[in-house]
Amino acid sequence: MSTTDIPRRAGVPARRERRRSRAVSRGDGRAAALFLAPWFAGLILITAGPMVASLYLSFTDYDLLTPPEWIGPENYTRMFADPRFLNALQVTFTYVLVSVPIQLALSLALALVLDKGLRALPFYRSVYYLPSLLGGSVAVAILWRQVFGADGLLNQFLAVFGIEGQGWVSHPDYALGTLVVLNVWTFGSPMVIFLAGLRQIPQMYYEAASIDGAGRVRKFVTITIPLLSPIVFFNLVLQIIGSFQSFTQAYVVSGGTGGPADSTMFYTLYLYLKGFGSLDMGYASAMAWFLLLIIGGMTAVNFLASKYWVFYDD
Amino acid sequence: MRTTSTRARRAAAAAGVTVAALALAACAGGDSGLGPGTEESSAPPTEECPCEIRFSWWGSDSRHTATQAIIDAFEAENPDITVVPDFTDWGGYWDKLATSVAAADAPDVITQEERYISDYASRGVLADLSGLDIDTSTIDESILAAGQTADGQFGIPTGVNAYAVVVDPQIFSEAGVELPDDETWTWDDYVEIANEISAKAPEGVYGTQDYGFNEAGLNVIARQRGESLYTEDGELGVSAETVADFFQVSLDLQAGGGEPDAARTMEVQDAGPEGSLLGTNTGAMGIWWSNQLGALTKASGRELQLLRLPGESDGERTGMYLKPAMFYSVSATSEYPQASAKFVDYLLNSPEAAKIMLTDRGLPANTEIREGILGDLDAPNTLVADFMAEIAGDVVDSPPVPPNGSGDVAEITERLNTEVLFQRLTPDQAAEQFLTEVEAAIG
Repeated sequence: MSTTDIPRRAGVPARRERRRSRAVSRGDGRAAALFLAPWFAGLILITAGPMVASLYLSFTDYDLLTPPEWIGPENYTRMFADPRFLNALQVTFTYVLVSVPIQLALSLALALVLDKGLRALPFYRSVYYLPSLLGGSVAVAILWRQVFGADGLLNQFLAVFGIEGQGWVSHPDYALGTLVVLNVWTFGSPMVIFLAGLRQIPQMYYEAASIDGAGRVRKFVTITIPLLSPIVFFNLVLQIIGSFQSFTQAYVVSGGTGGPADSTMFYTLYLYLKGFGSLDMGYASAMAWFLLLIIGGMTAVNFLASKYWVFYDD
Repeated sequence: MRTTSTRARRAAAAAGVTVAALALAACAGGDSGLGPGTEESSAPPTEECPCEIRFSWWGSDSRHTATQAIIDAFEAENPDITVVPDFTDWGGYWDKLATSVAAADAPDVITQEERYISDYASRGVLADLSGLDIDTSTIDESILAAGQTADGQFGIPTGVNAYAVVVDPQIFSEAGVELPDDETWTWDDYVEIANEISAKAPEGVYGTQDYGFNEAGLNVIARQRGESLYTEDGELGVSAETVADFFQVSLDLQAGGGEPDAARTMEVQDAGPEGSLLGTNTGAMGIWWSNQLGALTKASGRELQLLRLPGESDGERTGMYLKPAMFYSVSATSEYPQASAKFVDYLLNSPEAAKIMLTDRGLPANTEIREGILGDLDAPNTLVADFMAEIAGDVVDSPPVPPNGSGDVAEITERLNTEVLFQRLTPDQAAEQFLTEVEAAIG
């Protein structure tokens, strides 16, 4: 902390006190700026700078090897004539719209069960949270290949019941389904948030409802759901954004191709393949900005819709 | 790619949820991506050494170890030149190379591949090697031509591979099917034999593995019909009919039982040589690049053999060719082109380097060097060397250098073949789509 501004000459005590406190706060500001500097540098150099650059690149024809050439909005118009892009959109939307509701329902259900006060609650909480830590990792995506392969665990299990399975990850009709299951399986983080939310609901509401003769379902619908709705909303927004950006699972499970037959071609995977595979970085940048618009749009719709179903207690 | 995607994800987390999508592109764009990559026009005519050059390559651990040993030997001979190794796996190699070129930080000596060399050469990234002091007198002209475009010699082949049928004679004899005469067999024979083996062999053993994921097969069939996948002018040179016939072979095999069903085929396809039908003793045939014979033999534990591709005698001409495994190129912006050339010359022409490398970068293109290592080769590689010598006389010419954008063709072929195997497209529809998509990619 700097002391240079503290006056050396003894003056009127009151004035001196005031000046010192101002000096101290100015020194604090400088120290704060110093501590924040690395973060600001990171924000500007690693995030904001490249973002501005990619906005510029999205209006250019850029192959990484030669300087970018300005082509106006052509990359954006080209997207809608690109059948693989449209397919990637469809795959991604299917993935998000199917996996997020299932995941949220499952995590809420489990949170309700755990909230009933199991004896080894911390243990169960950890166990169910574990997949969330692992789910996005390469190791689990490889494991997925093993589980859903032709000779995988799932088929061995089905064989016990005399059902002949097939290579789930290698069939274009089922490959996306295995990724949905993988995403649903990582229900741990919304579950932990739900659990915390359930703990926030005052017991007296339930007690009052019991006295009035409300059953379990009734209590769930009229007490738990409304009071938990901000948490549901939070999880919904977060999971939708996260699912739109899924990359690793599809990349590893499909061996980096989005196959079989583009059935697991997530938006981000196609973006990556366009940028680094086809050296079409201008197009890839335009795709990234379009994804921002999609996610921004979905989030805006969520917020607008939230007025009608999210209940804030205070 | 591994590092970039991790970085992208990390940046995404930092940027917060809404802006995260951008980080991926942000990282793709790169902060240095805006400036031209080639500011210095040419290096000074004489070089000041001691100097340091960087050599980039992709590959497995065994290749990294061998290459490091070669670098050590080179540095011992040329104490004023230091060679800095720069290696990754295949998947990450092209991402890394593209970004380092964009950042004006290209390696001095660059390992290139058939499908990308034209992209890099036409964009001024690679130096014309004919102006540098590299001895190519012992390399066959037709093989050397594979590294040439109209503008010069941008890469020198490290070695050659052939696309061939690998067979497991044990499965043939157990099924009571005779090995075909590979000098006369046709594609129809190939399908028939595969179907026959599947029928006679025990349950779960198939005649062959699907070949439709690799456009090299299409190129061979096209050449047998007097066409070519690409023309000299970098255009598409194959007819819709040929492409449809190429896809049809897979369907015929599927229908006749000669190859597994589509889902199983996809799995086997993704499993590499180790998990292939040949590698797991569950298939009698497979079509592979000859440099995979070692891995296949090791995985199968059997004595596999090489046969010529079908249709070599009943077509207009032979279609098989020797493909450069990879190329050595020198960066156009290298500070030390002469030292780089010296190193490339050493890699190509030094007997010591060849003894360490053996056939890891293909059977050496340098014929004298090839002779020198024959005695050191293991059984599968000896087989490859003999096979190449045998077919060399029948190979008419090398296909032209694939045009810009041909890197996408591998992906297009794989995807359309999958569509055909799952019967979501007919071979005719797939052929039409193939032509449209490839034209767009290379146009």
